[in-house]
Amino acid sequence: MALEDYRGDMGMCCRCSACKFVPMQKVKGKAFSYICPSVSRYNFHAYSGGGRLNIGAAALDGGLEYTDKLLDIVYNCQLCGACGVSCNYAMDMEVLEPITEFRIRCNEDGKTNAALDKVVAGLRKTGAMIPAKGKRGDWATGLKLKDATKEKVDVLFHVGCLTSYDKNTQKLAKATVKILQKAGVNFGIAGDAETCCGGRAYQMGYKEDFLSQARKNMDMIKKSGIKTVVTACADGYQAFKVLYDKYNLKGDLEVLHITEYIDKLIKDGKLKLRKKVDIPVTYHDPCHLGRLGEPWIHWEGKKVPGDRFVFDPPKEYRRGTKGVYEPPRDVLKSIPGIKLTEMTRIKEYAWCCGAGGGVNVSNPGFARWTAQERIEEAVSTGAEAIVTACPWCEKNFNEAIKASDSGLKVYDIVELVEKAI
Amino acid sequence: MALNKEVYKEFEDVVGEENISDDPAIMPAYFGTGFAAIVMPANTAEVQALVKLCNKHKLQFRPICTGWTGAFNKDIIVFDLKRMNRIIEINEKNMYAVVEPYVISAELQAELMKRGLTCNMKGAGSNCSVMLRGHGALDQTTSGDDRNHLAIEWVTPTGEILRSGSLGSSDEWFCGDGPGPSLRAILATNVPPGITPGIFTKAAMKLYHWSGPTEFPVVGHSPKYTLSEIPENMMARYYSFPSVEKMWEAEIRIGENELAFALYGVCLSMIAANMTTRNEDEAKVFKQLSDEAQGPGFFVVLTGDSAADFAYKKKALEKICKDADGESMKTLEDPEVEGILLCQCVRTSGSIRETFRAGGAFNSIPIMGQRDVNIKWVVGAGEAKKPLIKKGLIVDDGGGFFGWGVEHGHLGKTEIFCRFDPRNAEAKEAVEKWQKEQSDRAFNENYFVMSMGEIDEKTGERMCHYNEWWNKVVNIVDPNNLASNTGPLV
Repeated sequence: MALEDYRGDMGMCCRCSACKFVPMQKVKGKAFSYICPSVSRYNFHAYSGGGRLNIGAAALDGGLEYTDKLLDIVYNCQLCGACGVSCNYAMDMEVLEPITEFRIRCNEDGKTNAALDKVVAGLRKTGAMIPAKGKRGDWATGLKLKDATKEKVDVLFHVGCLTSYDKNTQKLAKATVKILQKAGVNFGIAGDAETCCGGRAYQMGYKEDFLSQARKNMDMIKKSGIKTVVTACADGYQAFKVLYDKYNLKGDLEVLHITEYIDKLIKDGKLKLRKKVDIPVTYHDPCHLGRLGEPWIHWEGKKVPGDRFVFDPPKEYRRGTKGVYEPPRDVLKSIPGIKLTEMTRIKEYAWCCGAGGGVNVSNPGFARWTAQERIEEAVSTGAEAIVTACPWCEKNFNEAIKASDSGLKVYDIVELVEKAI
Repeated sequence: MALNKEVYKEFEDVVGEENISDDPAIMPAYFGTGFAAIVMPANTAEVQALVKLCNKHKLQFRPICTGWTGAFNKDIIVFDLKRMNRIIEINEKNMYAVVEPYVISAELQAELMKRGLTCNMKGAGSNCSVMLRGHGALDQTTSGDDRNHLAIEWVTPTGEILRSGSLGSSDEWFCGDGPGPSLRAILATNVPPGITPGIFTKAAMKLYHWSGPTEFPVVGHSPKYTLSEIPENMMARYYSFPSVEKMWEAEIRIGENELAFALYGVCLSMIAANMTTRNEDEAKVFKQLSDEAQGPGFFVVLTGDSAADFAYKKKALEKICKDADGESMKTLEDPEVEGILLCQCVRTSGSIRETFRAGGAFNSIPIMGQRDVNIKWVVGAGEAKKPLIKKGLIVDDGGGFFGWGVEHGHLGKTEIFCRFDPRNAEAKEAVEKWQKEQSDRAFNENYFVMSMGEIDEKTGERMCHYNEWWNKVVNIVDPNNLASNTGPLV
């Protein structure tokens, strides 16, 4: 689908501003009532979901030229999809899709962001979204893990760029390995043969680079006969499960996030969590595991002429309803000693960590500002730690905490499970 | 018309570089192109300074809040009030809240519910400014229109700060009519941002008792939220009646007996919109409800301060409706349906479903006046919609309309709209023609006169030449004609 295909959706925007706030029934007061980091930080309506649709519509009508401000609007958005959830409480229209297509259009027109260009240049060279020092599989040295490209395994653990290369994040890969081994799972990794899922490149607007990465991954998976992929990264999960499906590359591959898999292992009695982890926590839903982790819905049709914005065949919208919300919570509740208190903005209307859409690279200050808002919300629950299920969220939270005087701790869910086994 | 660099710099010096833009990319989000600039003041002092600059350079200006409607002239300075979003005070003892313009109703009501209070909720939606003038489903108990505005802080078109009511003689917000200057007739034309020239920067809003829960137990995922249980001493029902006369008979008795917390006199298509999560389902549910109903009706919410209070109200409601041959619709007695409609009604969170979702636009004729008289008119306006429905130009709502008494009384709000696809030129033209014909009919048959927007001479004659007096007032407060009047905003 191209931007032009969303002309009707963009025209449906009634500029009600619902896209700025959590769904109205979930507004619990003045604090934490906003949902869109971009309009919350930059205030002009143009930075809201609706404003972006107004811009897209104007661009299609030939009324807009590229300016620095236009690109500032385009790239200062985490593409977290929260605007779409709030809009789609009431409206039948696509929101995030045209916003994403507009960014892709900017990219195709050469109107890129220099910081993002640099990241994608690295991707093309090393297959990673962060500077790659050493080999991708170095983190697993000495762990004697199966090579899923050569040995028969039930599960491929796709580790992801950040977890593979970042020294502070590699602990998540090791914790995941320990959990899977404890449960007796026949799993393997692709090691040096693993490459980036492409999901973050897609968010940044580099659609062709995403497709290239997706094809590489699926070629490897098909050749290895892998049926199930487990990712410990929400971005990777969304790429494999949703984006690959959107572009008809996924086939019948089963894609699970590590929280879904651990939840299953616990419920099947294959993993026992016995040790007490005595800490009050709150849980942050990563956008790409939550609302954006909802399965892709293939649809092709035409608007039915007449009074209503309806289609033949009827169109089913992805409204964030079917994201992965309960498995991570069930896992946390399975850990003895954990006291889970929810934040105000959760599940489909969770506030973004700030790292999405390449914002952590293109505008680190805005990424930290967004994370700081979430940290304040976490602190307001009385929790001592914020738990997430994505290394990008964890990294961004840690950087925001480092820049502030907050004593909040940050954990990935696998770290707590590791402590409990 | 772009501002020259020196003038732009003067505005920028007030709000800071981040809060002003004249870039064309910003403008489509404000209903247009070619504005001189968009500015975002943070407080009253900045608004005043900006307005004075507008006067200095003879630049027209207009404010906007969340804004789902509005017409904006080219070359104006648009004041986006997004940064003025603070709840200044909630005075529980004296039952008022002081807010800035970008506080939305959902935010204030949620804060109030925690304190056993509520505010009036405008039908435009809880996503709109608390300070907006208008009517809503809670009008029975919380009144409507300008009745809820107490003291107001107003930056006049020339940049003076005027504080009305009690604020004019003290720092108290409790009263809109004195001991300081009232000016209600000027300030309440449509606040804010409305057609009163200038910018309202703060207002005290009247609060009311709320006997429901501190927050509704909303569960599930968007778009299908439900209540885990119906809160104690609360109930919602939809009663349909064999005729509009019978419906009115029950409505006024419910009002006179002060039974209902909310009497949301909406047609079944609006109920169907609230119940459903997508367009296709809405059409089907509307058909089902229409088959079930015996005629026009209303949605009613009861709240009790105690079990005994609730039991009395329930019994009285049932008796009144029975006397008028009203029947409670079984589909809406399902606790899942009842719960979500109850919550949608009280929190006014379904307005966008009711209006924009179907086709993308609606044109409306809203009236405030004698309910029994206006009901007679609106039945005809509904009949006049039917040929448009038959042609497929507007959404089939069975010729529906809505309305309710305000303050439990005979005066009330009555409204009727057509929902359509604004990209369909034929539909747009047909709806505008219907709107004009029905407004003219109201005028010619002495039901009411439309008082929204620009008032012409013919209409002015029926309103004691209100338009001439209003123009004189505007000329005095806005001698430079800068606070452009292009109709009300929501």
